[in-house]
Amino acid sequence: MEMQFHIEGGDFSGAGTASSEVKKVLKQLNISPMIIRRIAVALYEAEVNVVAHAFSGEMTVNIESDKIQICIVDEGPGIEDIEQAMQEGFSTASDKVREMGFGAGMGLPNIKRNTDEMKLSSIPGKGTTIEIIVKF
Amino acid sequence: MMAKDKYTHAIQVDTTTCIGCSHCMKVCPTQAIRIIDGHANIRPERCVDCGECYRVCPVDAIYVRDDELKVMQEFDHRFALIPSVFIGQFPAEFTTSRILQAVHQLGFHEVFEVEHAVDLMKAEYQRQSDKLDSLKPRISSYCPAIVRLIQVAFPSLTDHILQLKAPHDIAANYCKAKIQNEQSDVRKPGVFYITPCASKIVAAKAPEGERESPIDGVFNMNSLYNKVYQILVSDDENQCRKQMADLSPDSVNWSLSGYERKYFNGRALAIDGMENVLEFLEKLESGQISEIDFLELRACDQGCAGGILCPGNRFLTVERLESRQNRLEVLLKLNQKLNNPLMESASELSKNLSTDPILPRSEMLIDKDMETALQKMDRLKTIAAYLPGFDCGACGAPTCRSLAEDIVKNKASMSHCVFVQRIMEKNYKLSPEQAFQMIEKIWGKNRLNKYVDKNGNIDA
Repeated sequence: MEMQFHIEGGDFSGAGTASSEVKKVLKQLNISPMIIRRIAVALYEAEVNVVAHAFSGEMTVNIESDKIQICIVDEGPGIEDIEQAMQEGFSTASDKVREMGFGAGMGLPNIKRNTDEMKLSSIPGKGTTIEIIVKF
Repeated sequence: MMAKDKYTHAIQVDTTTCIGCSHCMKVCPTQAIRIIDGHANIRPERCVDCGECYRVCPVDAIYVRDDELKVMQEFDHRFALIPSVFIGQFPAEFTTSRILQAVHQLGFHEVFEVEHAVDLMKAEYQRQSDKLDSLKPRISSYCPAIVRLIQVAFPSLTDHILQLKAPHDIAANYCKAKIQNEQSDVRKPGVFYITPCASKIVAAKAPEGERESPIDGVFNMNSLYNKVYQILVSDDENQCRKQMADLSPDSVNWSLSGYERKYFNGRALAIDGMENVLEFLEKLESGQISEIDFLELRACDQGCAGGILCPGNRFLTVERLESRQNRLEVLLKLNQKLNNPLMESASELSKNLSTDPILPRSEMLIDKDMETALQKMDRLKTIAAYLPGFDCGACGAPTCRSLAEDIVKNKASMSHCVFVQRIMEKNYKLSPEQAFQMIEKIWGKNRLNKYVDKNGNIDA
């Protein structure tokens, strides 16, 4: 089953729509509540990343009988140093974003912690693609 | 692991009174209600006994199944467990002592206020907040409707619920232990709770996280209120004993919204009212809320003062309880010392405070088998696209989405939708007679007959 979402950069109030919709579907499938919670957290963090850093993004969610696959492709500044970006506490978020309670540098590490597979690729100046898999 | 499929409910529909108006169907937070044969039908697997349906029923067809006073007779030493909101139902001219005395006269050997157990809860909350781990926020186990709502509608949050007994259970344990120590000739002590809501009845009959509740019977606050009021107005004031300051002042407000959270260290929120709770839990379950340590959630506005079985106005009740707190504070200053009898057994009672983990229920599942469920989800999406999407409820389900779910679960068909019916008639897939039969199946026979009342009875 496939679901698609558009994420608008800067739309902080709208962040969470996709994670909420996906969660609603997962709840109706026989998936352990703990796993649903992990997916919801990872999805929300990924959404916030697009909202906080990129101009816009497209999220594709694919639910199969044994796993969920999520791919988010954004258009934005991209990430210069992926290894650095993966470190806890590292953030390039502006002060304005931090004031809103985002940008603590926990987003990417949190996504990694809550998923089974995570692939991050980026072209600086163009955008970032993040692919995650959680097995049921 | 999921909870066992056994259902006990206090909220019931009297189908002889129900006119199938669908008000209840629209407000049910778990979409548990459908209209079938002209009456509201509550699906037991989804009902959480919150009583939202009870509040909106225009003909009082929804009732609460409680115990009759006579169930007390088989017990040889009877305790009445009184929550402070009961005291708050009465005008200020009646003192607490008089009200307790009046309850006593209804056939109890002893009366005991539930909130005596709160001092023990406060200490336990401190302990729980000190050992807080990564599983944040912890959710209060106080409101049984909330516990059941989480089990049914937010299953991934069940392990956030504190494994802690409710004050009335602790108070009941105290009463039973006390009488067994004091009077060895008592064979069968009974503890009876006066409830402000339906969910506490269910909590006593079918507790979650406990094998058995120490409560032997639950009486409806509304009917007890009338009985006690009658005694109060015919009573002689002077035979009443003086009130002792034996309750911690702020304990009387524990059942209201906003007091419990003060005893949990860290960032704690108090949320009351079903809609507010739903909105918050939705965000929490979607991973959008972090950094909160404790959630005090109450299904009713203003907490238990807003319970469906409270006869009085919730705001007046809150005001009365708060002024009682002030009076208790003055008394405490005069007496210098609190005499909470329950706290003398604190160490003994503390051993029996925790419950088993609360398990999720699987009622939201569309199918247990993953492959089938995914196929059904795809079908659901297609069906939802055909339905008009304005949730008129004419199909007997609360929303188009819930009709779509019923269809993939084989509990309804496409032609339940009145708009789909028009299209089917236009395409000669359905005759007008068939369409009319369909409507009769949902809303009852003769409902549209002008000489017939909403219940299908022919007017005299």
